[in-house]
Amino acid sequence: MKNPFRKDLVSRSRPEACTVVIFGATGDLTHRKLVPALYNLQVEGALPAGVRIVGFARRDKSDQEFRTGLEELNKKVSRSGHDDTIWSEFEQTIHYHQSEFQDEEGYQRLAERLDEIDRERGGKGNRLFYIASAPSFFDDVLEHLKKAGLNKNKEGCWARVIVEKPFGTDLPTAQHLNEVVSRTFEEEDTYRIDHYLGKETAQNIMVLRFANAIFEPLWNNNYISHIQITCAENLGMEGGRGGYYDKAGALRDMVQNHLLQLLSLVAMEPPTDLSADGVRDEKVKVLRSMRQWDTPELVAENVVRGQYIAGHVDGEKVVGYREEDRVDPESMTESYVALKVLIDTWRWSEVPFYVRMGKQLPKKATEISVHFKEPPTVLFNALAGGVPGGNVLVIRIQPDEGISLRMVSKIPGASLRLEPVKMDFHYSTSFGKGSPEAYERLLLDCMAGDATLFARRDEVEEAWKFIDHIEHAWHNSEEPPPMAEFVAGTWGPKEADDLLKKSGHKWRRL
Amino acid sequence: MLDKCTRALGKEVAVGSVDQELRLLWEEDKASTNASLMNLAVYSEEDDAILKNSEIVQAITKEHACRAILIGIDRDASDASIRAWITAHCHLSRQGSKSVCCEQIAFQLTGRATGRLRNTVFAHLNSDLPLVFWWQGELSDIFTERLYSLIDRFIFDSAQWSEPLLSLQKINRMLGEGVGLAPMDLEWTRSYQARLALAALFDDPLAAQALEYTQQIRIVVHPDHRMAGMQVLAWIVQSTGWQRSRDLGLCGDQDNSDTEDRFYFETHQGSDVTVRVEYDASSATLGLVELSSADCVVRVSREVGSAYMHQQLEAGAHQIDRLVPAASDDASELVADQLSRGGKNTLYRTMLPVYLDLLK
Ligand SMILES: NC(=O)c1ccc[n+]([C@@H]2O[C@H](COP(=O)([O-])OP(=O)(O)OC[C@H]3O[C@@H](n4cnc5c(N)ncnc54)[C@H](OP(=O)(O)O)[C@@H]3O)[C@@H](O)[C@H]2O)c1
Repeated sequence: MKNPFRKDLVSRSRPEACTVVIFGATGDLTHRKLVPALYNLQVEGALPAGVRIVGFARRDKSDQEFRTGLEELNKKVSRSGHDDTIWSEFEQTIHYHQSEFQDEEGYQRLAERLDEIDRERGGKGNRLFYIASAPSFFDDVLEHLKKAGLNKNKEGCWARVIVEKPFGTDLPTAQHLNEVVSRTFEEEDTYRIDHYLGKETAQNIMVLRFANAIFEPLWNNNYISHIQITCAENLGMEGGRGGYYDKAGALRDMVQNHLLQLLSLVAMEPPTDLSADGVRDEKVKVLRSMRQWDTPELVAENVVRGQYIAGHVDGEKVVGYREEDRVDPESMTESYVALKVLIDTWRWSEVPFYVRMGKQLPKKATEISVHFKEPPTVLFNALAGGVPGGNVLVIRIQPDEGISLRMVSKIPGASLRLEPVKMDFHYSTSFGKGSPEAYERLLLDCMAGDATLFARRDEVEEAWKFIDHIEHAWHNSEEPPPMAEFVAGTWGPKEADDLLKKSGHKWRRL
Repeated sequence: MLDKCTRALGKEVAVGSVDQELRLLWEEDKASTNASLMNLAVYSEEDDAILKNSEIVQAITKEHACRAILIGIDRDASDASIRAWITAHCHLSRQGSKSVCCEQIAFQLTGRATGRLRNTVFAHLNSDLPLVFWWQGELSDIFTERLYSLIDRFIFDSAQWSEPLLSLQKINRMLGEGVGLAPMDLEWTRSYQARLALAALFDDPLAAQALEYTQQIRIVVHPDHRMAGMQVLAWIVQSTGWQRSRDLGLCGDQDNSDTEDRFYFETHQGSDVTVRVEYDASSATLGLVELSSADCVVRVSREVGSAYMHQQLEAGAHQIDRLVPAASDDASELVADQLSRGGKNTLYRTMLPVYLDLLK
């Protein structure tokens, strides 16, 4: 039914009331991200009236105990602070459902409970299932949802599922998961979350490229020398992360999803429209055009893996990767990876994209830098010092989100000397208002049925295909490329610098 | 009066050297970042308004980096004079590391000033950035095409006008001339949260079904905010496309205009709707918007002084009752809110003709 009052009131698709069922609701993600995101939406008045939250997990808890636990964390992490009046209203919409993921009867009870909630709400039975559990449970949860008939849309309503990362550990497992999901839900009802896409600056990439006339004409191999995508973290394996991480590694944990998503936003052709499939069609073309490093030799030539050894980060002494808690002392898992990606399209022919990700680097920063070719320098070549480097456009994703452009300028004075200068735009100084958390945006989009900022099945599989060749060379080939080392608190191994040096490039100093 | 407290406006400078003095100001302070996304001109003909506006701008710049240009005019003074002050409003950035500052230039003019006003504003704009012009008080004859043709967003408060119909007709004419300016009526901003809350209730299928069978609408506003009530009504009528019933012989519109106005409409389903817009001195700015049919009541209400509204739906056993944030009553927050929303305010433009029709 159409709601005439929505017209022009807010310029986004309309989120609809639903019951959000979170599987793994006693976990970290629910407490730190999901419930605070829903609470903040409520504070902003953006959450549709009638949204209910049902937390599904194993422990025995009453509704009230569950709410109290959530409230404690919300007080610590909520972006807009914690308002007791709003919370006390909000928590009335939260319920707890105790069950094992494998317990069929638990899903039957869940179905009855959801029906009851629908009745109270006046019959509208939209359901949003959020699977916030370890991937090993995805099959169980999805199969049981199906058995209990919860995957079926009620008349005039929808049932959608949000799946958290990691979406598989390689192509076969991702394909298997996709099979399981598609046996249970339609692709259009499946939302694979990649919270990087919910970040304000990631969304701004498209705006920067396609709403400004000055960048797109230069956005190709005629003007761009290369592009770098960096994700640096200044943390190691604190809080028991080592157990999960040592099985995954930097390539699977960050590159397969977040960084390749950023890469596809930077490299894609203008979509025909801003619909979910319009945008995702273009992104997947980029992933499909990545040149495959499908032999150990190509991997050795184009990819560097590394581990940190003991060093100092933020003035503190830190141990090496292999000495970390829950990490195998002989681990061959990379905590650092740098790779060269070539995209075989007309636009990007021979323009390398360098992607790097590492733990225990000097600082936390995620950014994309576009390095333009040098201008013809006949005019200034004779000058002492020459021309100091070309133009660089930097899109900072986090922290300190913003955009900067490096240009060359004359130093004031009678002589002609050139220096680089920077035009810098900071979101935080220009827009005093904090950006919403990625999860806020993504949850609302899902309630509105807008999948633009979620990964589609073919995107996930194409990305795995690329990653699998590398993993295969590292772990299953006769002569695996070596594992490089670097001191924690430095910018990665020398081999990563050499990777760029071969083409006359250099990592940007952050 | 102004003389006593001009310290709040910063350093007094010669009008001809404003730019030079601003540069000096930045050179003195190396630690701060100068940020600006727009020019914000604030105009008032009230005594001492620039002092009050300087405080308001200080609050606005927390969220909206701008170059602020404050203009105070005493048009009744016999001699023509102009004085200028400069200062910067600084805040720590969100990361707390940097001091981010916005510059402010304040002008006090006396005497006949139309030409000087335009020149004063336009000579000190940051080039390329949009001009947001906040006009406080009555729309005087200074508001001419020469001025508004250069404005990108025009902020005004129709609640402050003694002759809202005449002034709004002027605005409507101006919009009709195809100027690209976005009108931003603070009275309209005051009802934004209530409209949002009401719209959200009609996402509910039962409420949506009942809409065409509405029989009664009650809107209660504070007498100082009659315009907010009328605008909400105009918005409802414009969104639904209901017809005014006066042509059907059901006149009697606007009976008892001190305490209430009445209107009659007909829905597409032929349901007769009686609308009462009530003016109650004990009400919040916008105290109640309620649409009722035989099976369903949809209500958004607010107590005086409360920061929240109740958003309620009653349809038999199906009930919704939640608290949602209410709009601020504070001028600086309303302006900040308006600035953060951007856009051309198309909804206001489409609502305006219906609203003018109701006011007639
Ligand atoms: N944490 C983050 O910030 C973050 C960020 C991005 C993605 N993710 C992904 O999100 C998922 C969840 O992460 P998390 O950190 O929230 O995990 P977690 O803290 O380990 O929580 C796991 C949840 O699963 C429940 N659970 C485990 N086995 C169960 C069973 N057999 N039956 C019923 N419930 C069971 C646990 O319930 P009990 O406590 O009752 O046993 C708990 O609620 C993972 O896939 C992770 O990769 C997390």
